[in-house]
Amino acid sequence: MKNRSRVCFFLLFLAMPCLSLPSRATVATIIYDDKATLVSTAELSRDQLWVTTADLKLATGFELKPQGVCRDELCFPLSGSRKQELTRKNAGTMWFNLTGFARLVNQPIAHDPELAVWYFGLRSDQRQGLAALQAPDFTLADRNGKSHSLSEFRGKRVLLLTWASW
Amino acid sequence: MAQDTNGVKDAGPWIAAANPTYTVLIDEKHVVSKLYNMVNVPTGVWIDEHGKIVRPNEVAFVDDRFKNFTGLDSAPYLNALGDWVEKGSRSAYVMNEARLREKLAVNNPDVLLAAAEFGLAENLYKSGHLAEAIPHFKEAQRLNPKSWNYKRQAYALSNAQRDYGTTFNEEVQKAGGSKVYYAHPDLSPSPPKDQKP
Repeated sequence: MKNRSRVCFFLLFLAMPCLSLPSRATVATIIYDDKATLVSTAELSRDQLWVTTADLKLATGFELKPQGVCRDELCFPLSGSRKQELTRKNAGTMWFNLTGFARLVNQPIAHDPELAVWYFGLRSDQRQGLAALQAPDFTLADRNGKSHSLSEFRGKRVLLLTWASW
Repeated sequence: MAQDTNGVKDAGPWIAAANPTYTVLIDEKHVVSKLYNMVNVPTGVWIDEHGKIVRPNEVAFVDDRFKNFTGLDSAPYLNALGDWVEKGSRSAYVMNEARLREKLAVNNPDVLLAAAEFGLAENLYKSGHLAEAIPHFKEAQRLNPKSWNYKRQAYALSNAQRDYGTTFNEEVQKAGGSKVYYAHPDLSPSPPKDQKP
């Protein structure tokens, strides 16, 4: 009996790191849709980047809504188990697992641990156009700073040509 | 679309000298290369009136100023382009969907991750961290070895020999020399579409 309780105690000790969620506060630079945002209250937990839902909105434009993770018309639904996996409430603040969400939407991530910079690439929805042979739209400035979008040229045939100074 | 990390500083003088009548945009985050999976410059894409891609990602020289280096004559490409301008969707140079999909590297995980590493590297470089950017530029080059953009842009932002142990010319030689460095555009006309009575 004595031995058995010792085994149980030992197992419980081993399980401890799994039961708790060791996380550490970090400052993070999040580059999302090619826009960089400095987030001062992020958390790192087992290589996962958690941000408050306020910072989620600030850095990505996405919001947590009853129907899922949404930005304007775009919504990624979250099932019950996904929601549990990607969100948590702590002392009245709602936290969101941004790297977990990236996996859900097939978004590549590049990370520099030393400088705490995370770059989020194209989500699956941003790649659908090319897969459907529709020319992905973009907006860029000319030499004088005036913006132009590819979609402005609808109704004309367009030769899209890249070049570089290098 | 100038694929230039240093934006108007590097691309501006070239645009001013060309004084173009067409729209020239500056793409300092290489957004167009990322969205279209492009691997070099010059790359051309034909987009029809409805925003549909009808010829994707191919080497597109519109004059002969680099002909001595590449061995590529611009005339066949310009001829095909003129045919499309004249005939639109009836042009024999409009590709069928099977060929289009083959040429667009859609959803290749290594290509996607390479673009993210390159984006991160560019951002680090621009925030004054060239030394920290180099490993990410290298990772982008490793993940998408077909991309000359990732090599050439990174080399142009530092001392290539010192930071990458190579130069553009050495890489061209490794690839078989300047005459095969650019994949020649496949300008064989598509067979005529079935005419329904």
